[in-house]
Amino acid sequence: MERLIISNTPHVRGNASTRRIMIDVLIALSPAAVAGVVFFGWRAALVMAIALLSSVGTEVLYRLFVKKEDIKRITATYDFTSTVTGLLLGLNLGSQSPWYAPLLGGIFAVGVVKMLFGGTGKNFVNPAIAGRVFLMMSFGTAVSGGWLAPSIGAIAPSESAVPSLVDLLIGTGIAGSIGETSKLCLLAGGAYLVIRGVIDWKYPTIYILVAGLTLSLYKLDFSIFLPSILSGGLMLGAIFMATDYVTTPNTMLGNIVYFAVLGVLTGLFRGITGGESVSYCILLMNITVPLIDRFIAPKPFGYVKPEKKAKAAKEGNNG
Amino acid sequence: MRAKDIALDGLFRQNPTLKLVLGTCPTLALTTLAMNGIGMGLAVTFVLTCSNVIISLLRNVIPQKVRIPAYILIIATFVTIIRMLLNKFLPDISASLGTYLPLIVVNCIILGRAEAFASKNPVGAACLDGIFMGLGFMAALTLMGAFREILGSGSVFGVKLWDFSIGFFTQPAGALFTYAMFIAVYSMIYSAVVARKKKSADTSEDRSEKGVTADV
Repeated sequence: MERLIISNTPHVRGNASTRRIMIDVLIALSPAAVAGVVFFGWRAALVMAIALLSSVGTEVLYRLFVKKEDIKRITATYDFTSTVTGLLLGLNLGSQSPWYAPLLGGIFAVGVVKMLFGGTGKNFVNPAIAGRVFLMMSFGTAVSGGWLAPSIGAIAPSESAVPSLVDLLIGTGIAGSIGETSKLCLLAGGAYLVIRGVIDWKYPTIYILVAGLTLSLYKLDFSIFLPSILSGGLMLGAIFMATDYVTTPNTMLGNIVYFAVLGVLTGLFRGITGGESVSYCILLMNITVPLIDRFIAPKPFGYVKPEKKAKAAKEGNNG
Repeated sequence: MRAKDIALDGLFRQNPTLKLVLGTCPTLALTTLAMNGIGMGLAVTFVLTCSNVIISLLRNVIPQKVRIPAYILIIATFVTIIRMLLNKFLPDISASLGTYLPLIVVNCIILGRAEAFASKNPVGAACLDGIFMGLGFMAALTLMGAFREILGSGSVFGVKLWDFSIGFFTQPAGALFTYAMFIAVYSMIYSAVVARKKKSADTSEDRSEKGVTADV
């Protein structure tokens, strides 16, 4: 199917395709996935594999039976977005998740949030986030919270309440979801995406810094700035999920507003509830994207503000 | 034939929950359990039938300008009656319906049927309309309640089926999701039925033109 692209001139053509970008994202996610398996063992691999299979399977089955496409067309036009969704969903769950959690999460994320709304590019919120929130609402601590301690460098929570910054950065001895503990791997993946031009380094940075600052200001304690940005799902959410093309505004100013508000919300929610709220904040802000785009519209090329024109004309008359 | 039309309208063609999308507030809030659907459905059927009959009887007496206050007064009377009856004889159902029972007064199904049907039709038709609109509401609520109860609590009508449950479906987000799914499936069935009817009407017209059947 030919795609009609509606955007302002000039139209710059590049060799970027959804498939290439998504494969880049998969490459960028692989260090975090490997780290998850190293830290949490074979169960982590199992959770990710089930999430991947169920996400990809849902798209293929939906296109086979609802869209009535044949298998050749599906393999030719498969753009790997569901693979990314599945991997992200797996990385978002705890390794203790029961087998049906990633299965149902993948079906919900791809089937309901993406395919029912029209497939790639039509999802109204990030599918992986929606899948995670669906599972958190449904199974609570079975998929998030009550985290298993990692097998490497495990420390009992009572031994040291605040882990060291190095531990937080590498993920040794940090409990959490499969993909969120090793910030080093996430940052490496993020750097790869920035170099490949898939994401803009400014936006995750704004989100992470604003979230840390807001929490520090809320608690009036700047010593928690670094631990707060290095803990929880903030890095994973900021680099890989808040930057989803479909659910971010069109303009640079819109994006700055989007990520700054996201940071403020995350900082405040973290401060007030004392729990992790990155996924809920991203979900909430995803829904405001059409609103942001409505008020911060892209400027047409060569556009001059009407007031300025009038003013310039007036000045010309005077002179 | 007219009675059959009224019945079909209430139960399917003009289903208050799925086609007219009226009374969504109790629909979203009460469908966590299938039993709530039966309780709420019966209460609404009672109020709707009684108020339709009275409003139809008074349709030439009530002045046009004050008809809404008059309708509300009549509806409120029956809501008060059913509330007292349920409180006395079925306190469990009354407790589980909670505030949605007195809120039947402002339920748009009842006011909507009073305005659209009972005030323009004779008593018999209004009575039938009340019964079948109420039953249509009850059927939709009970089906949605059963769906959400099976998935969200692993039971149906309070009978435990299995230990597996998806908490999402007992929560407000699950209510909106379930409602949307039900409307989607209903629309699918509805358009299939309409398409089939059109087809059969076309073929019967063809036949009558050829003189095969003469009773059209």
